[in-house]
Amino acid sequence: MIAALREFRGAGGVLGGLVLLVIALIAAAASWIAPGDPLNMVARPLTQPFADPRYLLGTDQLGRNVLAGLVHGARVSMSVGAAAAAAAICVGILVGTMAGFSGRRIDNGLMRITEAFQTVPTFLLALALVSVLGASALNVVVAIGISSWPPTARLVRAEVLRLKGADYVDAARLAGRGSLAIAFMEVLPGALQPVVALIGVTVGEAILVESALAFLGLSDPNLVSWGGMIANGRALLRTAPYLVVLPGLAIAIAVLCVTLAGDGLANRLGIVGRR
Amino acid sequence: MIDRLWNMASCASALLLASTLMMAPSFAQETPSKGGTLVVANDTEPRNLNPAIVASNGVFFIASKIVEPLAEMDYEDGLRPLLAESWKAADDGLSFTLNLRDGVSWSDGNPFTSADVAFSAMNVWKEKQNIGRQIFRNLVAVDTPDDKTAILRFSEPTPGQLIENAMPAVTAVLPAHLLKDENLDEAAYNAAPVGTGPFVFTEHKPGELYRLSRNENYWRDGQPYLDQIVYRVLPDPGAKAAALETGDIHVTAFSAVPLTDMARLDAIDGISVISEGYEGITYNITLDMNHRRKELANPLVRKAIAHAINQEFLVDVVFLGYATAATGPVPPTAKEFYAEDTVRYDFDTAKANELLDEAGYPRDADGKRFSLRLRPAPWFQQTRDTGDYVRQALAEVGIDVEIVTADPGGHIKAVYTDHDYDLAIGSPVWRNDPAISTTILYQGGLDAGIPFANQWGYDSEEMNGIIARGISTLDTAERTEVYKDFQRLAQDDLPIIFLTHFTFITVARDEVKNVSNNPRWATSGWADTWIAK
Repeated sequence: MIAALREFRGAGGVLGGLVLLVIALIAAAASWIAPGDPLNMVARPLTQPFADPRYLLGTDQLGRNVLAGLVHGARVSMSVGAAAAAAAICVGILVGTMAGFSGRRIDNGLMRITEAFQTVPTFLLALALVSVLGASALNVVVAIGISSWPPTARLVRAEVLRLKGADYVDAARLAGRGSLAIAFMEVLPGALQPVVALIGVTVGEAILVESALAFLGLSDPNLVSWGGMIANGRALLRTAPYLVVLPGLAIAIAVLCVTLAGDGLANRLGIVGRR
Repeated sequence: MIDRLWNMASCASALLLASTLMMAPSFAQETPSKGGTLVVANDTEPRNLNPAIVASNGVFFIASKIVEPLAEMDYEDGLRPLLAESWKAADDGLSFTLNLRDGVSWSDGNPFTSADVAFSAMNVWKEKQNIGRQIFRNLVAVDTPDDKTAILRFSEPTPGQLIENAMPAVTAVLPAHLLKDENLDEAAYNAAPVGTGPFVFTEHKPGELYRLSRNENYWRDGQPYLDQIVYRVLPDPGAKAAALETGDIHVTAFSAVPLTDMARLDAIDGISVISEGYEGITYNITLDMNHRRKELANPLVRKAIAHAINQEFLVDVVFLGYATAATGPVPPTAKEFYAEDTVRYDFDTAKANELLDEAGYPRDADGKRFSLRLRPAPWFQQTRDTGDYVRQALAEVGIDVEIVTADPGGHIKAVYTDHDYDLAIGSPVWRNDPAISTTILYQGGLDAGIPFANQWGYDSEEMNGIIARGISTLDTAERTEVYKDFQRLAQDDLPIIFLTHFTFITVARDEVKNVSNNPRWATSGWADTWIAK
């Protein structure tokens, strides 16, 4: 039973990883699959899907190609999601290592800051930041990064605290190495493994937050985004449901695959098993 | 003046005759039935419901049923008397005499007199009101020889035509007996107004509804027909459409339902989509250009941009046909002022490219000439969609456009105070007379920070002269000519581009009668609205 479950989780990870790879390829090849600016109004508005072979998934109320929107949107969602998650994880690692390895005072200070960030819901903080900074792709990455680092920081801190009394750390200290060097060169590599388990969740959440921001009209208006497509199509839910359903499916599939692949990776590395 | 009214009346009635004849049977058979509650969808919850201070459609939508102006617009007569029975401008333009209606009382029982008009004009319209500040700038006194006569006195000649055209929107009369000792900005009155109108304010449940009930003392016998009007706060367009279908609400105004849903709703039995009733409050979509950018200071570039934009495409796709292509700063529905012979900039990409080459901005290796930042006004779907279209249209002629968005407050500050934009999509309102609506978009020398006005850096001596002549020319025919010159020069200089005029849409259930029966219907009193049983 448990073996079967483990088998399934393994398969899920592989499946997630494969689909994710396909999405990434589509995102990379967006300009070949659908050349031109996906925001251009190219055909008769509200062409139904599969009605015109040139616009396989139909057009929206302004005559923009839905397929072009989806593939270019994949590029935006995946890259913004990945960049934001990378930013969040880097900040989290930095803060977590400092907190775990430094003395009590710095640890306390950093952890209070982390808790302060955790008391504000991720999405609301990102929303506030983008409203202040202005809606551009870079600002969205920054906002999501700033609002979603605390879980990583707490995890890394716990691992660092666990490892910093280890013999090899003492050995390094006796060898006369500086604290920073010990923290980042000796302790951190050992503490990184569990972080891998967080990557999937963090990226998935970053994609969701990016979509939600776009839905509210707070993403870069010069780029297509799945969330923005849903917002545009929402008014036509009754007459042209595909305008909402297709990008909605894209978001669901992408987030699911990222999470599955992340889990699979963590499994493979034996992190979950160790607990 | 009387001549003009007659002319207008006969023109309008000739036009309307045909339509009335066709509609006559359905109207003639029905006698209004009394009673019932009209439920209306409302987008926003204005905190200040005082229409004499905040002359805006969102406030009028509710408050115009409670507080009445001196006169209302009318399809047949141009102007229909409400609190004023008749009026006359002096030949020298220095006074404007109002004969007020007899037998009108405030809903609290006190009589309505000329003192109320004097108080409202001097203390509110002239001092506090966004539009009135301009029109009544030269108002120095209001004489009240008796209870039923008010004479507005001006220090400079002021055209009677201007005052008449302003009456429906800017002359809501407030009760002096309740307000003369109050601080108008903070008075509790602003949240629960008292007026002479067909309905009285009953309650406001924040986030839920406003309730108005019939005014038993209303001066017009037998009206209003309705017992109550309830404004349900329903910001979501989809929810409004659903509520109309289920019959939970009777009326949505101001295109509150998505345009794309109109055809579906119109096909439903018992629901009608009505595009009349907004002629007095037409909105315009403009492409504003910041002349501080050297490229846009060049008239050739501005004209090239005009040639690059396909207005018909905007009308058909962005507005789904619920708009007309603009030919200048006055909509054709304003027959009195509209000039047909303005310069047209037809959609012609080749011409646009030629003009840009001529202006000295050739395409570079990537096919680009220069880049501009465009701020679409964030408040309408149509302003945002127009921004997307302009971006695409200008890309065709080698102008790279980057769209920059902000929330409404940020947008207004960026465009009208900080001038931090190259292009902007605006939505100025046409209100019966150029002097109180679109001339401010061309007036030079305005301070930074005045919103919805010329913050483009355009300052033409000739234009300023025409605008000044317009507010001081007393003869109506002559003044109308001045505004035709205004439109011609606006299109010759082209400091900004008027893209489309769009009228709002009302969607109403068929049991509601007398819908859209005047050119400002949504913002009028609704005394004659009734629900068939």
